[in-house]
Amino acid sequence: MGLKSAGTLAPQHVENPVARLLPIATTLLATVISIQPAHIPGYAALTPAFTLMAVYHWTIYRPDLLPPFGLFLVGIIQDLLAGVPPGVTALVLLLARAVVLRHRRHFVNRLFPFVWAGFMMLTGGVMLFLWTLHCLLDGVLVDFRGTVFRAVLTVSMFPIASFLLGRTQRTFMGAD
Amino acid sequence: MIGLSPPRRAAMQRVALPLLVLLSATMVILGKADQVMFESLRVSVTDTASPALDVLSRPLAALGHLTDRARDFVAVYEDNHRLAEENERLLNWQQAALNLASENARLRELLKLTPEPATTFITARVIANSGGAYVRSLMVHAGSENGVERGQAAVTGEGLVGRVSEVGSRAARVLLVTDLNSRVPVIVEGPQQRALLTGDNSERPCLRYLDAGAEIKVGDRVVTSGQGGVFPPRLPVGVVASLDGESPRVEPYVELSRVEYLRIVDYGLADGLPKPVPIASRGGRRTEPLAGAQLGRR
Repeated sequence: MGLKSAGTLAPQHVENPVARLLPIATTLLATVISIQPAHIPGYAALTPAFTLMAVYHWTIYRPDLLPPFGLFLVGIIQDLLAGVPPGVTALVLLLARAVVLRHRRHFVNRLFPFVWAGFMMLTGGVMLFLWTLHCLLDGVLVDFRGTVFRAVLTVSMFPIASFLLGRTQRTFMGAD
Repeated sequence: MIGLSPPRRAAMQRVALPLLVLLSATMVILGKADQVMFESLRVSVTDTASPALDVLSRPLAALGHLTDRARDFVAVYEDNHRLAEENERLLNWQQAALNLASENARLRELLKLTPEPATTFITARVIANSGGAYVRSLMVHAGSENGVERGQAAVTGEGLVGRVSEVGSRAARVLLVTDLNSRVPVIVEGPQQRALLTGDNSERPCLRYLDAGAEIKVGDRVVTSGQGGVFPPRLPVGVVASLDGESPRVEPYVELSRVEYLRIVDYGLADGLPKPVPIASRGGRRTEPLAGAQLGRR
């Protein structure tokens, strides 16, 4: 994995329509991957938040190509396919975008450990938010351990996702 | 938005973000208040996506088969031994079952008992799960076109998996017995105790509303009681696995995360689950159907 990540603060214009659709397409793919039945005991509950990884990556490097409306649609589609109350994932992804966008300059063109640390903080916040939301929606104190395991799994899978997304980005959009 | 200049687009995105956050939050609240509101949208999205999900889920399933095969190969000797012993035991059981079946038939004849409704099966492949800690459901690639109906039981050879909670024309969602909203009336065999098997999103659902003096032991079999009219009686569900904590926990017979094919079973009981009515058409009277309230709906 390249230690230095691609991207600049002011993203260059991309003409290629395939490249322009890449952020949305990969985020949608992450959604599909996260509902795949993996036939591994206990996996369903601990599935890493793949969609969050894609959203984090693209919000840092190409926020212009993953607009809020696209993100909203992806979130709603994930909610509907996963059987989660509609709006939950959309809300989480949009809030994640808002937070990452605000601190974006700290992560563009930084060494990977910085980017990873940023994702760790984001995941912590997102998982806590999700847990609180579901406790409120279901009116019971949901077991917190599942949330912790899921956060750990999500953070530890991020380097692979980041590598793949970075590679795809460089292939289709070229280096920054 | 494509024709806009980059600064204008950025400005629009800034305005769109809070609006969409607000919209999502509203959807969450509305969906909570009226759980039926988004059902048709959910069903149509699921239907549209089901062929793609079916194709996409095959490579992972194939990989799973490969690892299974490798494991089988390693364990072939022990498996053979175990199966030979099991076969001997089962042959004895077969004799017992044949005797009981003929005795049963004679007794029914004597009592002029009306036969139970014929059961039909639909075998369906699992194409998606809920992928998260807060919902336990599966999506299967069979829908109303294949005869799947809301409320039907989903089983495997080992036992109960859950019940059909939403049906599209090509795909359906099965709410697992471990889901927070799942309530299954059961009997604990042995003490013959009635209870409600209540999911809480953990791997082991718990037994609620047991009698105070109920003597439940670890290892007691748990089967459906048939109360409420959704599941037929005596479907195997699981065994009592632990007695610590507030209520006993049940280990389901079916390894729910490894299910690849399941059978949707129509026992002619599906009518037991009333169709949910959207709040708008309920008018002033709020007539909550009893079985629906008892069994929980998503």
